[in-house]
Amino acid sequence: MAEQAASLRFIDATERGLTRLRAVHPLAPWLVAFLLLAPLPWVLLNTYHVFLANFICVMILLSVGLNIVKGFCGQVTVGHVGLYAIGAYTAAVMSVNFGMTFWMSLPIAVMVTLLAGAVVGIPSFRLEGAYLALVTLGLGESVRIFISATEYLGATNGFSGIPAPRIGDFRFDTYQKYYYLVMPVMLLGVFFSFRILRSRLGRGFMAVREDPVAAAAAGVNVRGHKMIAFLISAGYAGFAGALYAHMIPGYLNPRNFTVIEMVTLLLMVVLGGLGHIWGGVIGAIIVTIVYDITKDYYHYSLLLFGSVIVLTVLFMPKGIGGIIDRFIATRRFIAIREGRATRPGSDDAA
Amino acid sequence: MDLLLDFIIVGLSIGIVYGLVALGISLIFSGLDIVHFAHGEVYMIGAFLGIAIVSISGVPYFGALVGAMIVTGAVGVVIERVFYRRLTRGGGGYTVAGMGMIICGFGMSVALQNVAYLIWGAAPHPYPVSFGMPIFLGNIALPKSYLYILVSALVLMAVLHTFLTRTKLGLAVRAVAYNKDTSYLMGVNVPAMISLIFGVACAMAAVAGVLIGPINYVQIEMGYLMLLKAFAAAVVGGFGSLPGALLGGVVVGLFETLCAGYLIASYKDIYAFLLLITVLMVRPTGLLGIIVKVKA
Repeated sequence: MAEQAASLRFIDATERGLTRLRAVHPLAPWLVAFLLLAPLPWVLLNTYHVFLANFICVMILLSVGLNIVKGFCGQVTVGHVGLYAIGAYTAAVMSVNFGMTFWMSLPIAVMVTLLAGAVVGIPSFRLEGAYLALVTLGLGESVRIFISATEYLGATNGFSGIPAPRIGDFRFDTYQKYYYLVMPVMLLGVFFSFRILRSRLGRGFMAVREDPVAAAAAGVNVRGHKMIAFLISAGYAGFAGALYAHMIPGYLNPRNFTVIEMVTLLLMVVLGGLGHIWGGVIGAIIVTIVYDITKDYYHYSLLLFGSVIVLTVLFMPKGIGGIIDRFIATRRFIAIREGRATRPGSDDAA
Repeated sequence: MDLLLDFIIVGLSIGIVYGLVALGISLIFSGLDIVHFAHGEVYMIGAFLGIAIVSISGVPYFGALVGAMIVTGAVGVVIERVFYRRLTRGGGGYTVAGMGMIICGFGMSVALQNVAYLIWGAAPHPYPVSFGMPIFLGNIALPKSYLYILVSALVLMAVLHTFLTRTKLGLAVRAVAYNKDTSYLMGVNVPAMISLIFGVACAMAAVAGVLIGPINYVQIEMGYLMLLKAFAAAVVGGFGSLPGALLGGVVVGLFETLCAGYLIASYKDIYAFLLLITVLMVRPTGLLGIIVKVKA
């Protein structure tokens, strides 16, 4: 009982805090999040851990984008890694072969990835479920095969010498410095995903996911929504790819975009919670950290990830996000049943 | 000219192997309304089991074929009972639970691949059988293994076709594929039939694996691209149609081999996929597609 009351008080306190922050300004919680995340490179003493923080930010961008098209719009795309690879390689080619700065190559990479996203999105007009999954799997795999067979893109040797971004004379050439580039972009990405998903557009996505026919009858432009979902997620993948390409050591290899990455990405979204607004973030953090911890046992990683995916789908279809939601709802329910109101400020009597 | 004939022979035999795997995918689709994403891995495991059986001294190639069929079929039944039954209770392949099935199959495929890696290792395994000298037709050398592929595939197709159309059990399988609810009412043991379908489909994949073994090396990554190609074959031939699956396999095999032979060879694995996209966009019912099952 004491534990329950404590957890309930914690939930209430958090919500009260958020409400107060929002009352100051709608963007205040994001500012607080930024300030909390800002000193991270100084807390983590090990440079490798800072690299990991950077990588987690890139992965969050990628999985939040994937969750929009997969979790919210219900389109099963498997080959998202292909879009990520396109973003990364475009940025690399633009900056190395055409001598552009990061600030030019990033928009171009996002643009090209958006175009590729449109190409992936077109089949979704006519195909559903497994068909779409296999076509996107094939597209993603074709991108990798194409890269590893093309000399211009470095083939299997990889693409190296991608310069670090710079503003004037300031170069983002260490992980500590790069963190301040990738973390704000990540926060912006999460912020935009919240804004999109809680808008009319996001509700349209969910309508398309639940029943395309009913959605069309209710006046939702099904094709348009599918396309926009694919474009948004491609945009996220483009940002993630360009940021990954320019991160030191500035080296890309087609082996970074294989089926293992597809599975990790899938696991992030599934474990975090398909269609949960925090799903991509939770999943990216947990999976990246677990992947890193289990690096010594990489022979078993596919077995581990595959089984976790299967078990999550079987026993926890809403992922960790769903479990947290249910936990909060249960606590609320118990409180109401015991006659304790859950209005802010009135639970002190318990 | 000889080169072209060579390509055609290779394409034809590879295509028949694709067709056998596609047959399984098609069968499972008509029985369970799902695409089994781990089917490529089942095919890979079948090939490895064939090697394991043939390595036992005194077992002939044909014995390995039958043994791998039986064991892999049993594995398939276990997979269906343990994993897919839970999910199919939640609805067919086009519901929200259908996404769960796709994701589950994808996870299962990488898990199975890792299991195979732990057992057999990453190195390609040669098949420890020899068929003797190839047959010479003029200038063209025709290895006997290609002949085996052709004959076994035709025999299997005939057996499967007879089973499905001439026996009472086959009738029950077709009834389940057509409509599960009505089959229940007619007294068909639907769950048992679904297990049977899954087992037969996995046995077909094992046959394909054992047959391709003597031509290509057997390795753990062979299943992954196989899934894409077999799916392409099933779609090209018309999803849910069994003769179509075999025909589609031959078309995909020929297309891929000829493109790789006369265009850029390193893009070999992309061609089948291009064919898949084209067919899905232009004629989604495939060559022999009668009616594509559409669930509202």
